[in-house]
Amino acid sequence: MMLHKIIEALNGRSDLAGWTVRHLDSHGAQVYAVPERIEAQRLVNVERYKIDVLRQTSDPNGKEAVGSGDVTLLSGDDIEAAIEKAVLTAGLVANPVYTLPAPAALPDVPLVDADLQKDPSTATKDMMERIRTAASKHGDVQLTGAECFGEIHTTHLVNSRGIDAEQESTHIQVEFVLHSQRAESDVETFTEMSRRCVSDLHLEEAIEQRARHTLDLFETMAPPSWQGPVVLRNEVLGMFVAGDTLHGGVLQALGSAASKYAKTSPWEVGKSVFRGDVKGDPLTIWANRLLPFGTNSNRFDEEGLPAQRVALIRANELIAFAANQRYADYLNLPATGAFGAVELPPGQITSSALLAEPYVEIIQFSWFNPDLITGDFATEIRLGYLVQNGVRKPFRGGQLIGNYLDALADVRWSAETGFFGNYFGPQTARFTDLKIVG
Amino acid sequence: MTDLKLPPAMSELRPALREIVTQGHEQAPYFTALLSSKHGLIITVDNREERVIERPPSAGTVLSAFDGETIYERAVSGFDRGEVQRAARELLQGRSFTQYASPAKQGSQQSGDFAPSLQIDPAELSIREKLDRCRELHARAKDRDPRIVNVQVRYIESGEHAVFASHQADLAQRLQRVHLFLVVIVAGEGGQVQYDYRAKSGGAGWEVLNFTEEEIQSLVDSTVALLSAERIEPGEYQIIAAPGVSGTICHESFGHGVETDMFLKQRARAAHFIDRTVGSSLVNIFDDPSQAGGFGSYFFDDEGQMAAPTQIVEEGVFRRGITDLYSATALHIPRSANGRRQDYSRKTYARMSNTYFGAGTSSLEDMLAQVDHGIYLDKWSSGMEDPQGWGIQVTCHYGHEIRGGKITERVFAPIGISGYVPDVLESVTAVGREWRLEAGNCGKGHKEVVPVASGGPHLLLKARLG
Repeated sequence: MMLHKIIEALNGRSDLAGWTVRHLDSHGAQVYAVPERIEAQRLVNVERYKIDVLRQTSDPNGKEAVGSGDVTLLSGDDIEAAIEKAVLTAGLVANPVYTLPAPAALPDVPLVDADLQKDPSTATKDMMERIRTAASKHGDVQLTGAECFGEIHTTHLVNSRGIDAEQESTHIQVEFVLHSQRAESDVETFTEMSRRCVSDLHLEEAIEQRARHTLDLFETMAPPSWQGPVVLRNEVLGMFVAGDTLHGGVLQALGSAASKYAKTSPWEVGKSVFRGDVKGDPLTIWANRLLPFGTNSNRFDEEGLPAQRVALIRANELIAFAANQRYADYLNLPATGAFGAVELPPGQITSSALLAEPYVEIIQFSWFNPDLITGDFATEIRLGYLVQNGVRKPFRGGQLIGNYLDALADVRWSAETGFFGNYFGPQTARFTDLKIVG
Repeated sequence: MTDLKLPPAMSELRPALREIVTQGHEQAPYFTALLSSKHGLIITVDNREERVIERPPSAGTVLSAFDGETIYERAVSGFDRGEVQRAARELLQGRSFTQYASPAKQGSQQSGDFAPSLQIDPAELSIREKLDRCRELHARAKDRDPRIVNVQVRYIESGEHAVFASHQADLAQRLQRVHLFLVVIVAGEGGQVQYDYRAKSGGAGWEVLNFTEEEIQSLVDSTVALLSAERIEPGEYQIIAAPGVSGTICHESFGHGVETDMFLKQRARAAHFIDRTVGSSLVNIFDDPSQAGGFGSYFFDDEGQMAAPTQIVEEGVFRRGITDLYSATALHIPRSANGRRQDYSRKTYARMSNTYFGAGTSSLEDMLAQVDHGIYLDKWSSGMEDPQGWGIQVTCHYGHEIRGGKITERVFAPIGISGYVPDVLESVTAVGREWRLEAGNCGKGHKEVVPVASGGPHLLLKARLG
């Protein structure tokens, strides 16, 4: 009802060049565990209305321009006053003219876990129980902390050009700590995962694997000084390629039209994204919002642009920037909308062939957070293995040093693929020549 | 009377909380209500466009009841009295809380309204005035070098209001934080792009956001210098950490590592080191939410605990951690005012506020004179905690070579600092007297972001760089 009142109020304004309103509603459950007990149980509701307005203005030279303003309302807030505030803000700013998206066919993208949608509280408690049960099977390893969030998000978007679209999605966040103690020595692994669908978490498998890693931490040697092949697999490879929720990723940063417009991306359409020769497999990347149950997938983005699978880089060459409507208009590019997941094609070689010794495999970084403009990184290793002469020796500490794009210019990708939330592509990557300093 | 500038809906609900918490208290000895509203503004001005956008706001009510084992919470959007009363009933329905008695220290009544002292209150400036101030700073910086391709001014303002009520407490506070970034972007040969930034910030008003001409020119010079930056030869170095870098080392080592919810989860090695030496006797570490003007300051935490300083490390000896209600209760340790939540939709954890090394007595010149070959670490860019392994990861945007006691023009970027926390703290041989805090945002893992400050003086120490 409030949405209709907002739309009515926006339609009644003659001073607007355009508007978008989104009714955002989410509800869900959260469960937190500490050793032997449940620390907290929460039920959460969040509901709000986000309004964006465009207003015609003029720049200091009198040239036609546009200004934007936004405001968020809670149920029962004064609609007229909120819109007036956004309109006044829009009137202060004079940017080159851009438009809002027009209606277009929206794809069906699987975004909902039906069980979670039906009963988030039970689904969340079930996840916690599965984690506790799986962890309890490892006598040497204890679960000392865990969190499970299950949320349902609904969005209803309407804009002044006629878009009227709705979507529903589920979101799951899980983290757990596995701890072990031998005499005076304590070790732990900390795992975070985000998915839309419970079955994509593979909880028992993840705990089995992390329990092994936890125990291997007792056997770690000092980090090696190493220059040569470095292997990443599965979740850590997904994070390396696609970035994380806190920091984002280099591909998203340099591949965005906003960065191009701000001159922080040197990439140019039709040219190689690399600064030197490519020695490894050619790089092909899609920015994919159609990926089923991808954590960055949707039917439409914040502006209402339909989900697409955009060929971003093909055989090392930039094909397109990921552009919202504003920067698409500014740079005269097609509007692709938000970036979505990072998708890579399968490589030509099997994973096992990429594991030719010697090599270093990194299981977990402290935080892989390359500079999003230069791509340079120096990141601490939480757990890695030096694999040579048939022996797999764990180590912790030391830093992986290099440049993100140089690393991608010299990598071989596996034929086997996997899905890790915001990454779909090869399960294994062998970077030919990376440096670890001990 | 303190002018809190409470949002009207929050103001309207506040008087009704007395009845809600009194009724709740009849069933649950620990029953509290927190009204939380966060809002803000982001202004961006660069060479090509301007933006004025709202910071995603949050406003809602959290009702909490504790049975001594589990904290049950209902978090609802907004401040509607009927909704909050219904949520309170649902929270208590079918559960027994009577086995838990609130700690005796909560026996005294607490009430009060608190607001920061601001010289130029952002709430009193119009958006146009703030935008004009950003435009003016942008104009002062944008044409200083032909290699500049963009200059970005980014102003972030966040206002926060909280009302905390229990059968013993009626507290309200207004918090105000401002952050002004000046970012210079330059292009070199072969498509090379580099950037540097400088920030002013505080739990304060616009009075702390002034840039001098020297600061702007120095920023442009450091950005241009990055075009010829080298990667550092990995190894152990004698380093001098600038206050911001010192603060990040502090934050990641004896900040996250002493959050006592981590003790409870057996994630913190520090739990085994209470009253044991963890660093040089020159090392003192504090967390202090009552620090005037600190970006991480507040008057009371999200569990109604009044802000006060905590000394974490005293002359190299680890004394105590920082707590939230749950971990302090479970571990039977005294509370500190560090129970914080990202917003009403998230639970409380033990979190830092303003965390810093205490100042020493050395001048920077004296410290430089002790370094024949080393690195001056100018600026941090990120860090990550490792409370169980006590590994350090701090990434610096860049650092300068020190030769013969002088900082040279040779610059390295980026630089990662790694090592084992006690080794790094034990290696501290001089502590500077110049002291400052820098603003940041802190996550627990990759979520639960809260505003904090970290800082300290210059530190002379040894660490591995790469």
